[in-house]
Amino acid sequence: MIGMITAAVVGCIGITVYGLLFGLVLQGVDRKCAARMQARYGPPLHQPFIDIAKLLCKDNIIPKNAVTSVFNAAPVIALAASITILLYLPIGSIAPVLGGWGDIILVLYLLTVPGLAMVAGGLASGSPYATVGSQREMVTMIAYELPLAIAIIAIAWRLNAAGVVDPFSLATIAQTPVWSVVGIPGIIGMLLLMVAMAWVTPAELSRVPCDTPEAETELCGGILVEYSGKNLALFTLSGAVKTVAMATLAVVLFLPWNLTWFVPLTGAAGIIADLVFFVVKVLLVVFFSVSLIRVGMARFRINHLVTFYWGYITLIGFAGLLLLVLDAVLGMGVVA
Amino acid sequence: MIAETLYTGFGAWNPIVWLVAFAVAILLAWFIQRLGEPDIPGDGESGKSYISGNDEPSPEDGHIGGSNLYWGFTDAMKGYYARVVPLHTGCLTDYVLWFLGTFALLFIFIGVL
Repeated sequence: MIGMITAAVVGCIGITVYGLLFGLVLQGVDRKCAARMQARYGPPLHQPFIDIAKLLCKDNIIPKNAVTSVFNAAPVIALAASITILLYLPIGSIAPVLGGWGDIILVLYLLTVPGLAMVAGGLASGSPYATVGSQREMVTMIAYELPLAIAIIAIAWRLNAAGVVDPFSLATIAQTPVWSVVGIPGIIGMLLLMVAMAWVTPAELSRVPCDTPEAETELCGGILVEYSGKNLALFTLSGAVKTVAMATLAVVLFLPWNLTWFVPLTGAAGIIADLVFFVVKVLLVVFFSVSLIRVGMARFRINHLVTFYWGYITLIGFAGLLLLVLDAVLGMGVVA
Repeated sequence: MIAETLYTGFGAWNPIVWLVAFAVAILLAWFIQRLGEPDIPGDGESGKSYISGNDEPSPEDGHIGGSNLYWGFTDAMKGYYARVVPLHTGCLTDYVLWFLGTFALLFIFIGVL
């Protein structure tokens, strides 16, 4: 018991530093890439750090109509929940800090907590814009959770059909690429699930085209319109950490290979090589799922967003799931 | 024992470990929050909600009712709701009929499989 708690405390402090720094770097890379694709020079890579420092120096104004306790607690809960997600995810070849004490279903639930904290904060703002933003955030969450759950369950189910022990454990999923146990139908199914996951990522992160809860041009920031200073800094940090979490989840599910599986490196050199390879994969996921999509598209209307995710993306997810089931039923690939 | 990890045979879950980690993360987030400037209760113009220069409605008028809370969802699914809502007639015999019909289909499905 003492060992568990020590791991939770020490791991949490280390993961917080990693998540905050890496998340802000990812935001800087995203902004730079987006700017270059729009023929702009863009801000420097460390601009998100400057933004956070600036926000911490600004006044934290509490609106007259706000419920102060909830208004102040929501950003703290959002950041804390985002940090705890990272504790259950592997980093390169390093096993998850709390991997033995939680699985991918727990991660699926934890991913909703920062969004729910934002909804609570928006509703506590006492602003009509923030209330509409909160309403949209709830609807957005309903829209993207189903395809995300389909992608996760399909992969774990296929690993179980291949006789893999603990198929919902993230350490297991990271060490057993599902690509290596499927046949041709399974590979097509995995590609479809990858498309679904690539579209779930911007919705989970409230980025264009799924930034309807914030919608700067119509709701002036929506759910965050009344937030300023340190509370806005915390929500920004929560978004940065969640970016790391979502990209890591995509890497674990779809691109779990490590460099040391192909190159004979051991000890510290192997761990560092795997970490560098992991960072490259995370950057690729963020580029294709966040930067490229947000530069190429305009914002969805909230009803179009539901149609898109419950219609097209869910259908793509179900098609992927059925192909993985077919793959196992037909005995293609590895079947227990 | 409450601290034991639940192993389902497929995955694992220990709420105590998560609660400890969440408490530490809350403390760290609260520490970052404390680094910022202190709260300023909004009074006068700064305390008003920003709604693009329009007059601020009273809290009662700005309230969104439960029926509007999921507007985007119900509007996107209106084709489905247009078929399902009329089936809710309020007549008990209709509900019993649906119940029996669904169970009959379910038993046929289970029997065939």
